[in-house]
Amino acid sequence: MKRILIFILVFSFAYATQGQTAGSVPEKKMLTIKSGEYIPFFRLPGTDPVFIKSFLLDETAVTNAEFLEFVKANPQWRRSKVSRLMADTNYLKYWKSDLEIGEHNKELYNSPVVYISWFAAKAYAQWKGKRLPTVAEWEYAGMAPLVNSREGTLTSYVLNWYSKPNPKVLPNVRSTYRNKYGLYDMHGLIWEWTFDFNSFIKSGDSRANTEDELKLFCASSTLYVNNKSDYASFLRFSYRGSLKGNFCIANLGFRCAKDIN
Amino acid sequence: MKKFFLLTVIGSILFTACNNNSKSAFTGEIESNVAPVGTIPEQSIYNLTDTFTTDQNQTVRLSDFAGKPTVMVMIFTHCDYACPRLTADVKELEEKLGKNGDKVNFVLPSFDSERDFPKQLAKYKHDMKLDDNFTLLHGSDDAMRTLSVLLNVQYQKNQDGNFSHSNVISVLDASGNLIFQKEGIQANHEETMKKLNELLKG
Repeated sequence: MKRILIFILVFSFAYATQGQTAGSVPEKKMLTIKSGEYIPFFRLPGTDPVFIKSFLLDETAVTNAEFLEFVKANPQWRRSKVSRLMADTNYLKYWKSDLEIGEHNKELYNSPVVYISWFAAKAYAQWKGKRLPTVAEWEYAGMAPLVNSREGTLTSYVLNWYSKPNPKVLPNVRSTYRNKYGLYDMHGLIWEWTFDFNSFIKSGDSRANTEDELKLFCASSTLYVNNKSDYASFLRFSYRGSLKGNFCIANLGFRCAKDIN
Repeated sequence: MKKFFLLTVIGSILFTACNNNSKSAFTGEIESNVAPVGTIPEQSIYNLTDTFTTDQNQTVRLSDFAGKPTVMVMIFTHCDYACPRLTADVKELEEKLGKNGDKVNFVLPSFDSERDFPKQLAKYKHDMKLDDNFTLLHGSDDAMRTLSVLLNVQYQKNQDGNFSHSNVISVLDASGNLIFQKEGIQANHEETMKKLNELLKG
């Protein structure tokens, strides 16, 4: 009897633990991005490159199925309940309902979640015990070349993607290229939120003259562009600069990062 | 029977433990980010429930400034160029308000989580000759980034520990709704004054 009791206890404990950590969606793999130097796209002349500490980054963007788990566990992030301060009216608009991605969206379960705000992405990351990557971390990780170099250089790959219209149905994660870190779809599938997306210092009005610029932005007159031919980076930084925290947009998703202790 | 009782007890302990775990995993930080819907309007930045520390070393939330209109400007105290001038602009607003200056909060949250602790904030307040209508705030990196996103203020930390940032003076109503923003140093604040006076009348 005693043995049976112990068996039941151990079994039920194991079951409970499994149920908690695994859930219905498997844990996402994170990859180590080794420390190194990153030269910011916009930077002050004469400053050193930014040193990036080693960190972990999700192998792929967060999917609809994964985001559904978060929404189920955090009612305040349901479409019908979310605060307009934290997410605009487009929040998860393609889902069937609060807690259903929908049968008609079946092919999207494993595609990146989009139409989510910065606040929502940040809350998801916190819930997972993670955080959003900084711009520097994201760019540093995204700079890594393609595993299969026959697909061309990174810049040509990225520009080729930017020139294409958005697909009608967003493909699944892992459907584009893999980079030397082992990360999937850093470019070619979606744009991704970063923790400090509002770092890019630009004028609210591009017609403003230089004197005004100096008054509007501390240190703005001394910022310069790292590589003027890197049109792809310029587009990415401009895009980030145009966002607001509660924007929910068609091709904008995210992946999470984590410190290495 | 004893054994069955034991099983039930241990079982229920396990169950409770799991329940607690899942609860803390699902609430905690996240839920505290959004205040329960009460008197604070949905669009108010006072929904942010991160805590900050004032130059008087008091722990506050933004909602503690509710009840009066607020002029808010994000700065950092080691700033050579823009911030002292921005601060002077806000001081000028206070002076122009005359007696009504006491009916407005002037709040200066700092980007600089690593250096602008209460003591440094108090020194800046003293050096800039700011009165008690002014409150300077220290907060975590995360809280300041969130606030900057809510106020549409851009900033980034540079290698030397200083910050590049946009210069924005924000006017909030007594409930924390963003009413008006003016960009720039030594800008024309006629409109800012008009908005403040409207809020004081209403």
